[in-house]
Amino acid sequence: MPTDEILRIHLQELRRGTVVVASLVALRRPDYGYALLQHLTSNGFPVDANTLYPLLRRLEEQGLLTSEWNTEEKRPRKFYRTSDEGETVLTRLLADMADVQTSMTALIEGVDR
Amino acid sequence: MTSLTDRYVAATLRSVPAQRRDEIAAELRGSIEDMIEGRSAAGEDAGAAERSVLTELGNPAQLAARYSDRRLQLIGPTYYLVWERLMKVLLSSVPPIVGVVFGLVKAADGDPGGAVGAGIGVAIEVAVQVAFWVTLAFAVMERTNTALNLPEWTVDQLPRDHPNRQITLPDSAAAIGWLVLVIAYLPLQHFWSFIPARDGGNVPLLDPALWSFWLPFLLAVLVANLGIEIAKYRAGRWTWPLIAANAVVNIAFAVPVCWLLLTDRLLSPEFVARFEWLGQPDNLDTVANVSVVVTIVIVLWSITDSVLRCRRNPA
Repeated sequence: MPTDEILRIHLQELRRGTVVVASLVALRRPDYGYALLQHLTSNGFPVDANTLYPLLRRLEEQGLLTSEWNTEEKRPRKFYRTSDEGETVLTRLLADMADVQTSMTALIEGVDR
Repeated sequence: MTSLTDRYVAATLRSVPAQRRDEIAAELRGSIEDMIEGRSAAGEDAGAAERSVLTELGNPAQLAARYSDRRLQLIGPTYYLVWERLMKVLLSSVPPIVGVVFGLVKAADGDPGGAVGAGIGVAIEVAVQVAFWVTLAFAVMERTNTALNLPEWTVDQLPRDHPNRQITLPDSAAAIGWLVLVIAYLPLQHFWSFIPARDGGNVPLLDPALWSFWLPFLLAVLVANLGIEIAKYRAGRWTWPLIAANAVVNIAFAVPVCWLLLTDRLLSPEFVARFEWLGQPDNLDTVANVSVVVTIVIVLWSITDSVLRCRRNPA
């Protein structure tokens, strides 16, 4: 019986990369940090604020996101959006996730047989 | 008065590169306000909401490190093994060499009394300096992502030793170093015991009469012990012949020493007379008895240890 701590670490490892993929998908529709955080959380991608905010900046620096300040609302907010480059990367990432799922299914069925 | 949020944003920005500060500040402040608003809307008190939001964001230094992609480690896995190897090589060679050379120069200068202490002092100083500068250099490389361009590891680098080596190089080096010191001390104590004689010069610690036979004999035994240490290192483990040789050498050293102690012939009469307390026959006997017991215990322990280690790890 693994301890909760071991399980937690493995789940965290497994989830790590998916936050990037989920963010790139969600930001096909422009959004700002906090709204994205809530959107991801309510869609089954819980992520810490102190992970997500720096991550958005990093993805922007890598050219996968573009940003724009929206000053129309009561406080200025930085809206992020998946760039064309981000879309290309996302396509590859989604394909890879599907591959992982396919391979895993095959492996499970192969073991069962 | 500045709010907790102001202080939090300021603390985060402190370690973020300057050219990005304003934008990060505006965005972070906005995000914090959004988060507080979200919690207030759920019915939390505004002050408590601010505290929980900032607690959730965590240590500002850590957040800043994430923003600027800074590593929270002095020396990371890329460099750690090279750093460790270099430290071991340098610390095991440079300080002892510098210390010995410094001590010898000091002794040649006519101050043998201060030579040992001065040598050790210099060695410690050099060790601290080496450790500091090597670590600093690696910490800088870690931060600048300097490529080391070292050759890749290959199977040819695997140690050729017996996989179950019991006798490690540091152990053997320490034992040999200690033996060399004792061998050097036996003749040295005759001239420099550091106990001034009444008529100037130094009082020999051991009875000079022993030079006719026993001291040369003990020196020969110690040299034999040196040979056993070397043979033991080459074998990499305790073997029955080594255990026998070790026992013989230990007994050859301990028996004469105990016998000389018990017959009051080991220490020089001059040395005993120099100390009033030691001059009392009762006290001298106590010293001799305690020394004999300690010697016997050490010999027994050495022999037992060699047998146990041999049996625990048969070839």
